[in-house]
Amino acid sequence: MPDPVTQIVQLITSTYFLEIVVFPGLVSIAILGALFTWFERKLTARVQLRIGPMYASPAGGILQGFADIIKLLFKELIIPEGADRFFFIMSPVTALIIGAALLGLIPFAPGVQIANVEVGLPAFLAIVTLSPTIVLLAGWSANSKFPFIGGLRALFQQTAYEIPLWLSALGVVMITGTLNLTGIVQFQQNNGWLILPQALGAVLFVVTSTAEMERLPFDLPEAESEIMMGWQAEYPGPLFMLVQGPAFIKLYAFAALFSTLYLGGYLGPAIIPPIVWFFLKTIVIIVAIMLFRSTFPRVRLDQLLRQGWTTLLTLSIVNIVIAYFIVVGVPAI
Amino acid sequence: MVSQGIPEETGYIIFLFAATLALVITLRLVISPRDPRPTPEKKAPFESGSGSWIPRTDHQSQRYYPYILMFVVYDVIAMFLFAWALDLRALGAAGTVPILTFMVVALVPLAYALHLAGQRENW
Repeated sequence: MPDPVTQIVQLITSTYFLEIVVFPGLVSIAILGALFTWFERKLTARVQLRIGPMYASPAGGILQGFADIIKLLFKELIIPEGADRFFFIMSPVTALIIGAALLGLIPFAPGVQIANVEVGLPAFLAIVTLSPTIVLLAGWSANSKFPFIGGLRALFQQTAYEIPLWLSALGVVMITGTLNLTGIVQFQQNNGWLILPQALGAVLFVVTSTAEMERLPFDLPEAESEIMMGWQAEYPGPLFMLVQGPAFIKLYAFAALFSTLYLGGYLGPAIIPPIVWFFLKTIVIIVAIMLFRSTFPRVRLDQLLRQGWTTLLTLSIVNIVIAYFIVVGVPAI
Repeated sequence: MVSQGIPEETGYIIFLFAATLALVITLRLVISPRDPRPTPEKKAPFESGSGSWIPRTDHQSQRYYPYILMFVVYDVIAMFLFAWALDLRALGAAGTVPILTFMVVALVPLAYALHLAGQRENW
């Protein structure tokens, strides 16, 4: 029986533990999530000629997200009457776990990856598929009309955009011939970034993942002006934090997946380290998705579903055909 | 590099998770406010002041229900395409003809399903 102190020291200094707990795992996700909330508020404010948060620290209110976390965490927990307590509390917790699990699959730099699974890309998409069920449960369990409408909207929207999302990522699999995310990055090292041959797929991926993240212009499940934050309406302070957190974690995860699939992940000239390249690309995508919010008006649910099932599906099949000809070669006519 | 199965640190991760949860709950018990006797208004669901509605156990209109049924079918089809895409180079034309047939067989009903989903009597 080894000494428990030695055992704990060994554990805390092991690479695996540090990867899960510190980077790219839980602590860095929490810090980045808090920074992204501040960044989005500041960016939206600048677009709308406002100032945005500025009191929480000298540097332009950069600590606003952390202040919000502390405030929300210690607010009173009010559960509405008639709510299903188990699902009401467990849905945001599960959503948080799902969001963090997505980031375990991303290769941040050579060797900096929590789980280098052979089927990384389908695993990522399969974890995303769990999300509509969680949202529907959260909306249903609150026993209130706006959360329930929001939960149903989330279910329809996320399931409709799931298939174009999968099919747009399929083009990458066809060209690279691997499902492993590290393998996809290594393919791009030899053959150039996939954003050029897969430009249509990249655009489709951004659009469908914005719908999966429920961000504007696809934020119908939480449309503030129609259904009062939708499925999040009944959540009190601490649980509201657990509901808002996954939204930003999913934004981070989808931007990271986009830069892995189409922008070569951590690849780049060796002047700056791979991890910095990775974050530069990810942050560019995050800024683009955040600017959608200030640019586009919200769409209607029936339009959203029809477009998802017709236009986006057709375009993703066109993208598959393009990828097929890239792999096999255009036949001589 | 490629990890398979559950790593041995799982127990520690669960311990860490439980410890963080316990810390937050303890802090909450000490710091955050509690209301021993909440009024009915405080516990009522938020409905913009319009009063309560039918309970959650009642039936709801499922206007877009056909789209969910379509999802169940086409999600599986998308998964099959991943298996084909992975071995595209090795399969060549021999693999493409069946998958084209499969796509045609799958996508023609999709048009009909979309037509049905748009009709009011099917809502």
